[in-house]
Amino acid sequence: MHDAAIHAIVILLLGLLLGTAIVIVRMRELWAAVMLTGIYSFLGASWMLLLDAPDVAFTEAAVGAGISTFLMLSTLALTNRRAKPQPGLSPVPLVVVILTGATLIYGTFDMPHYGDPDAPAHRHMAPEFLADEVKHIQDAEHPEGKPVKVDVGNIITSVLASYRGYDTLGETVVIFTAGIGVLLLLRGEPREDPSEDASEEPSEDAP
Amino acid sequence: MDLLFDFLSVICLIGGCCFALIGGIGILRLPDFFSRLHGGGITDTLGAGLIMLGLMLQSIKVGLTHEMSASPWLVTVKLLMILLFLFVTSPTGCHALARAALSDGLEPATVDDEEQPTP
Amino acid sequence: MSIAFAITMAAILATMALALVRASLGPTVFDRILALNMFGTKTVLLISVIGFMTERPDFLDLALLYALMNFIGIVAVMRFTKYGHFADVDAQEGAR
Repeated sequence: MHDAAIHAIVILLLGLLLGTAIVIVRMRELWAAVMLTGIYSFLGASWMLLLDAPDVAFTEAAVGAGISTFLMLSTLALTNRRAKPQPGLSPVPLVVVILTGATLIYGTFDMPHYGDPDAPAHRHMAPEFLADEVKHIQDAEHPEGKPVKVDVGNIITSVLASYRGYDTLGETVVIFTAGIGVLLLLRGEPREDPSEDASEEPSEDAP
Repeated sequence: MDLLFDFLSVICLIGGCCFALIGGIGILRLPDFFSRLHGGGITDTLGAGLIMLGLMLQSIKVGLTHEMSASPWLVTVKLLMILLFLFVTSPTGCHALARAALSDGLEPATVDDEEQPTP
Repeated sequence: MSIAFAITMAAILATMALALVRASLGPTVFDRILALNMFGTKTVLLISVIGFMTERPDFLDLALLYALMNFIGIVAVMRFTKYGHFADVDAQEGAR
């Protein structure tokens, strides 16, 4: 009964997600489309909570409904507020998308079930990470070895920061660069200030 | 005792659902923006209030009868904080929205222009 | 008891769907902002009920955070719609 209710709610949520996506794609009024992406992020965050991933849900809400909406609104202030009408239905992109989607779905048939205890990730990697966390020390009271926590205490932190440390470093660099790029784009709008234009001229003429 | 709390909390939850649905229907069917603000306000105060009250009764029931760990009183206080925050921010948001709409030039529909078609 | 929770969640989802219709229909931009506000509040309620249904009271922290972010987001969107920028209205340009 409990599981059936959760399944029904998940199906309803995904249906709402699909409806929102269709409306976003068909909307020509860009302001409204940006606000609908905020709604999409809230729905996505609720769905991730139902999948037992509160940290991902929190990130999705903060990034999608918070920062992303602001950034897109700031960008919209620099461009048009209405999208140009599309020419019509073109069949080639539709066929390409359908083929790619079908191939991807076919590829997921080989994957293990969600939460399967026999999956390779749970059989090979997880015990290794767990074994990394604990070191057995032999002393007088515990001749067979007393387990002691080493290095990082949290499993997730040890995977993200120690085993996959370079990955995390690369991700941080990418996000930092993206943030700097966006800030430069949004703040670099030339002001209608004649004194600034005059001060820019000599630096451009300099060899 | 369990049954009493369950009964009260089910009543509060169902009542909250009804008010949330009423507000949702209102935001869809009312003719003008300023009247739709009423629909939004109903869901945010009465709908949210009754649902949170039902959840609080559930956690009070756990706290009183089961003596379990994980401090159900903390859960009750958190629910109360969420409720208070919703009570303070939702009407403020609706008021700010109405002021922004008025200063933007949006006029509320009066009885005189009822013969015009409404969306 | 879980039946009552399931009915509550279904009703909240139905209200979300109604708010979504208003957000896509609404002739003025303020209708859309109102629908977005209502959607955020319903998400807070949905998360609280999900937390109770799956016996995880930690979701309430998330619900509190969503309520905060919803409010700040709505105020920012309204300020942006009205003034065209996020800076303080009384302060100098770019003082943010």
